[in-house]
Amino acid sequence: MLVNRGYLIPAIGDIYVKCANKLANSIKQWHPDANITILTEDMLPYGKFPGYVNDWQCYDASPYEQTIKLEADMVCASPIDHWWDLFSNRNVVISQGCRNFYDQPGTSRYYRKIFDNNNLPDVYNAITYYQKSDVAKEFFKLVRDIFENWNSYKTILKFPDPEPTTDVVYGIAAIIVGVENVTLPNNMTPTIVHMKKHIINSIDDDWTKELILEYTDPGIRINTVAQWGLVHYHIKELANE
Amino acid sequence: MTTGVLIFAFNNEHIDYLAMANWSAKNIRRHLQLPVAVVTDQVVPNNYFFEQIIPAKPYSGDIRKFADQDHNVTWYNGNRVDAYNLTPWSQTLVLDADYVVASDELKKVLVMKENFLAHKTAYDVTNQDNFNEQNYFGQYNMPMWWATVMMFRRSYEAKLIFDSMSMIKNNWQHYKDLYNTVHPTYRNDFALSIALNIVNGHAIVHKSIPWGLASLTPENKLSQINQDTFRIDFFTQDRKPRYIILSQDFHAMGKKHLGDVIAS
Repeated sequence: MLVNRGYLIPAIGDIYVKCANKLANSIKQWHPDANITILTEDMLPYGKFPGYVNDWQCYDASPYEQTIKLEADMVCASPIDHWWDLFSNRNVVISQGCRNFYDQPGTSRYYRKIFDNNNLPDVYNAITYYQKSDVAKEFFKLVRDIFENWNSYKTILKFPDPEPTTDVVYGIAAIIVGVENVTLPNNMTPTIVHMKKHIINSIDDDWTKELILEYTDPGIRINTVAQWGLVHYHIKELANE
Repeated sequence: MTTGVLIFAFNNEHIDYLAMANWSAKNIRRHLQLPVAVVTDQVVPNNYFFEQIIPAKPYSGDIRKFADQDHNVTWYNGNRVDAYNLTPWSQTLVLDADYVVASDELKKVLVMKENFLAHKTAYDVTNQDNFNEQNYFGQYNMPMWWATVMMFRRSYEAKLIFDSMSMIKNNWQHYKDLYNTVHPTYRNDFALSIALNIVNGHAIVHKSIPWGLASLTPENKLSQINQDTFRIDFFTQDRKPRYIILSQDFHAMGKKHLGDVIAS
């Protein structure tokens, strides 16, 4: 029997399992009763495929009628349960855009050239909502198709990546099913704090070498600024803390 | 309850801030009908008028280069954190001496309910500079509040803000490193921005004056057409000469041009 709502955190590989546990613990700090499933390699319903290809399995793997799928290397810095009300009238919602740790919209397009070159929607799979539905099923079927036939799909892209990444695959799938069917209007979706060098203007790729990270239990502060929503820290070593 | 304006005026080798304050005080009385207190280390000439004169020693400032000055000048900006303790008013409008009051728009700030308000965004009146460099500070682009215009009421919140600014000024080396500021010089704008973050629970949420701070950069020439109307001559990015006419409050970041207007 399906439980109504829950968070699904894919974690393929040991370091991602550590990250997922850190994320799950941070969600539990705000929402002790939240349903959380960490999707490990042995739980993949169709077995493990190489690379990021396994993402499409999240549809069948989720034990929830409504799922918020989260990337593992994030931490939850504030309550997020109001997202259910925001999302539940849609079949699929992929977040769009990102923020810096000052809560300003990320303006650098350094990591998004392929999106701009190909007019793909600025989607981030780090926060993806779906409910069991024909639209969501079709969306993940497309995701599988794009991953498995990347050599064909990439011929229609300008400057394609040699290997598919989940965000680009989601962007292509969104265009095929209709961007309006899998996103909310801009500024309506929660966005991740993206701790990548060109978003936060850090000197080093490893921002933990130059910015102060504080755990406020619950919550975190970065360089004294209290964070909210999900913070994509991306430096996997933080999962060991 | 008393309401008034507080202006800090510490002259340096090249800029007569006291003359600016005296000129501004006349505009303030005319447009805002408010008394003016000046904080200065100078002997105030007989032909100047302020409702109150508050003597103070300037904190040793840093050396700063303004684009419209031929020389580096000493910048006595350290006293601003004492505004809460020095002001004789229960509601105070702190204005930079180079803030030109050419309208009654600041009356709107005085009737707002907040205990502390300042501008969060400044803009170039000539629209040649996007001010991205000015509205953020430090390596990581911390959003900046401007200390050019500050309204505060005697209150616990305002006291906390000024106490925090004072703490930041006294530990500037630490905060300079934390925010990784390019220029080592202490600025009240930086201290205010950091203080507002601290006082608001480390969140960048403080309410601000609901319009941008009109600003005139030092590269552009300022001249006065009549009492409250000014001409700004500037060059476009492709070096074409242009001018605009300004009849509003603005921050004259170029002290020399404003000094020339006042002296004329």
